[in-house]
Amino acid sequence: MNLNKLKYAFLLGLCTCIFSACERDVEGLSTPEFPSIPQVFIDDFSAGLNYAAFGGSVPTAFQVDNKETHNNSSASMRFEVPDANDARGAYAGGSFFTSSGRNLSSYNVLTFWAKATKSATLDIVGFGLDLGANKFPTSISGVKVNTNWKKYYIPIPDPSLLTAERGMFYYSEGPEDGNGYTFWIDEVKFENLGTVAHPKSAIMDGLDVVKEAEVNEVIKVTGLKASINLPNGVDQSADASVAFFKFSSSDEKIAKVNDNGEVTVTGAGEAVITAKVGENVSKGSLTIKSVGLAPKPTVSAPVPTKAAADVISLYSNKYTNVPVDTWNTHWQFSTAEETFIKVQNDDVIKYKNLNFVGVEFVANTINATNMTHFHIDMWTPDAVTAAKSFKVLLVDFGANNAYGGGDDLSHELTFKAPVITSQNWVGIDVPLSSFTGLTKRANLAQLVLSGDFPNVYIDNVYFYKSNGGTGGATSPTSPAPLPSYPAADVISIFSDQYTNVAGTNFNPNWGQATVVTEISLQNNKALKYAGLNYQGTQFGSNQNVSGMQFLHLDLWTANSTELKIFLISPGPVETPYTLTVPTSGWSKIDIPLTSFAPVNLADVFQIKMEGNGDVFLDNILFRK
Amino acid sequence: MNNRNIVLASFVCVITFCLGCEADNFQKLDERKWTLTWSDEFSGSELDLTKWKYDIGQGQNGWGNGEYQTYTKRPENIKLDTGNLVITALNVPFGGANFSSARIKTQGLFAQKYGRFEARIKTPYGPGIWPAFWMLGENISEVGWPRCGEIDILEIRGQMPNTVFGTLHGPGYSGGNPVNIMYSLIDARFDDDFYVYAVEWDDNKIDFFINDYLYGSIKKEQLPGDWVFNQPFYMILNVAVGGSFVGFPTAQTPFPQQMLVDYVRVYQESN
Repeated sequence: MNLNKLKYAFLLGLCTCIFSACERDVEGLSTPEFPSIPQVFIDDFSAGLNYAAFGGSVPTAFQVDNKETHNNSSASMRFEVPDANDARGAYAGGSFFTSSGRNLSSYNVLTFWAKATKSATLDIVGFGLDLGANKFPTSISGVKVNTNWKKYYIPIPDPSLLTAERGMFYYSEGPEDGNGYTFWIDEVKFENLGTVAHPKSAIMDGLDVVKEAEVNEVIKVTGLKASINLPNGVDQSADASVAFFKFSSSDEKIAKVNDNGEVTVTGAGEAVITAKVGENVSKGSLTIKSVGLAPKPTVSAPVPTKAAADVISLYSNKYTNVPVDTWNTHWQFSTAEETFIKVQNDDVIKYKNLNFVGVEFVANTINATNMTHFHIDMWTPDAVTAAKSFKVLLVDFGANNAYGGGDDLSHELTFKAPVITSQNWVGIDVPLSSFTGLTKRANLAQLVLSGDFPNVYIDNVYFYKSNGGTGGATSPTSPAPLPSYPAADVISIFSDQYTNVAGTNFNPNWGQATVVTEISLQNNKALKYAGLNYQGTQFGSNQNVSGMQFLHLDLWTANSTELKIFLISPGPVETPYTLTVPTSGWSKIDIPLTSFAPVNLADVFQIKMEGNGDVFLDNILFRK
Repeated sequence: MNNRNIVLASFVCVITFCLGCEADNFQKLDERKWTLTWSDEFSGSELDLTKWKYDIGQGQNGWGNGEYQTYTKRPENIKLDTGNLVITALNVPFGGANFSSARIKTQGLFAQKYGRFEARIKTPYGPGIWPAFWMLGENISEVGWPRCGEIDILEIRGQMPNTVFGTLHGPGYSGGNPVNIMYSLIDARFDDDFYVYAVEWDDNKIDFFINDYLYGSIKKEQLPGDWVFNQPFYMILNVAVGGSFVGFPTAQTPFPQQMLVDYVRVYQESN
């Protein structure tokens, strides 16, 4: 029977008054109760109320106003939000608090009326900031106000805890699109309303969240909310202080949770963290799936040996690193979480739940034009199978040095077993020429790591300039690998392996500055172009190569930064092809002959190279 | 059975207690002797299909009201749970509708002329939610609506959870222009607890009660059209989502929404 809730409930109210007149707290002598004054600001500051503006806000933003008031009462609170760049402060914000506590345990909402000079959205309004312990801050945010007075409600998640509260009301609001304005708040008071109902609370924003973790990891319960259903049937949600929540773990041997909602993983297995506010079970949960003590690197990755002058380092203790904006852009759908750890005193980045992660150096893009290689050390505890891959994507923003604009370039390389192994440092060291889609690299801005290994440790991420792998050598010490094409499929110009076209002049005088010599590497001949500007080769006889598919050559250069090769038919008709330089050791190059159109492939007679540096060549031939 | 006497007895207690405060809240009601003729306490594990039939689907024009939901008999939408009938409105698309809910009726199984019809209900809430406990004339298939008559014992707009409507529809006073009585709680809401909603109906008036408080009475001579409440009526329980009476559900309407019915009881006057 709920007669007491019916229309004539005020009668019962009267009866309650009589009751309460009789009630005496006989046991209350030992603990003095704080007064339960509900008024905060009606027409003036209530008893013992103080105001303090927040740091950086306009100190005078709040004034008592006697003109614009709710319901023609004698005064309201006026708040002047500054324009952007106001010298007095960036926003309006402050807290109203009392010097001694109030007992608010008999109220279920803080209510107030508000209006503004224009439609606007207040950043945050709440209670519980006492400029001391600030134990119970609870606030509503994104509060829409307009030019009409409207009543607002802030739910009190568990009133029984507020027996000595000093934080009565606080607010913070910045300019709207750079523009200041004024809003008013009036009739601020705590109330116990029967017209609000269904108090609810939530952790993890009401979702059932699952997180993989390992022993000793600390994970915080977030998304703490409290709501109450307003008289119009709509829920008002508030961000609630953690102090209102009582947390518990389904298995303390796996995960413990403290009063601050911090979960410490203690063992292997699954534990569910739930919470209550008062006796009401909060919606949402945090399930910890603990792998126990996860394997992790016990030794640091090998220390890089490249000379600092030849390196652009993003992450390494060996080098001075260039600025990286972030090691986790948290792009949409990325589940990766990064932590910065030490392994044998060496800094290492640990990723877990890695599906993909963006790394950005947009603010200071990297010009790796003079670099030849990309290096990254990775370590994974996860099992390696043939199908699983680890991927490295490099993105260049192009000449505009900004995302988009049609000039962005990127290329992704995929690494699998046997390169990737489990629980070993894997040094991934690849020529930048392997990133074939990355034809320019003067404005590198992003690195994206992805693949099938959710747990990855990385270290020593850098670009470097290879000197042929011989530690600064300027010439090869070993010959290019011998070609293995059947002789019948080859027309050879320069090779120890085949019969060459007779009578070829490898140094015709075309006015070049290049010094050409024939050198011997372990009894295998090679051509050396020293100080190249350009250099021709005159075939001993015109050749019909229309039955062939490629112009093949082996190329070695440590210092050339620009190199082109031309195939020439009489006319002359010549077409250049750009070669990737410098190389990492001998680089085997097969150029489709179709690349040289419109050169007459039935009648070619010269080759020309243009560029710079010292260039070594071998096995110049046409092949099927 | 003498339910009334027990209720009256408790009334007297309250009245004596409050008498000194406010005399106007004393209700002197005629004493009646009610005999229980039909009831469902919903104490089993499944809906008693000898007492109720399901209405299924989206009906014609949203059951004549532009309702948005489809009605199903899935346990997600209707079940018995710890002594209550639970009708649940969901905002999960089903059967071509964006919302689903349930509606049951005693048509063809039980109907009665005159007497007391009551149900103890905890209502759902939220914009666009429309719970109802109501009755239609058993002759609806012969004479059609509104000539068959309609008695709405409980209707609530979820965006006004403190206000109940008791309503009569008949020829000349139907649809958007019925005869109704509105009753609001000042500092409480009907969705916050169980309330007993009842009508007491005889040959010249229908009285509307909440927790045995008579909040309104519609008499034969007050009606702008024919008194068609002189033949058996059957009962309906449902939760609609959206419709002409309640308006749209909004993105802020909390879902799921449940109507809990503790019991439905029907009495006939004895002497």
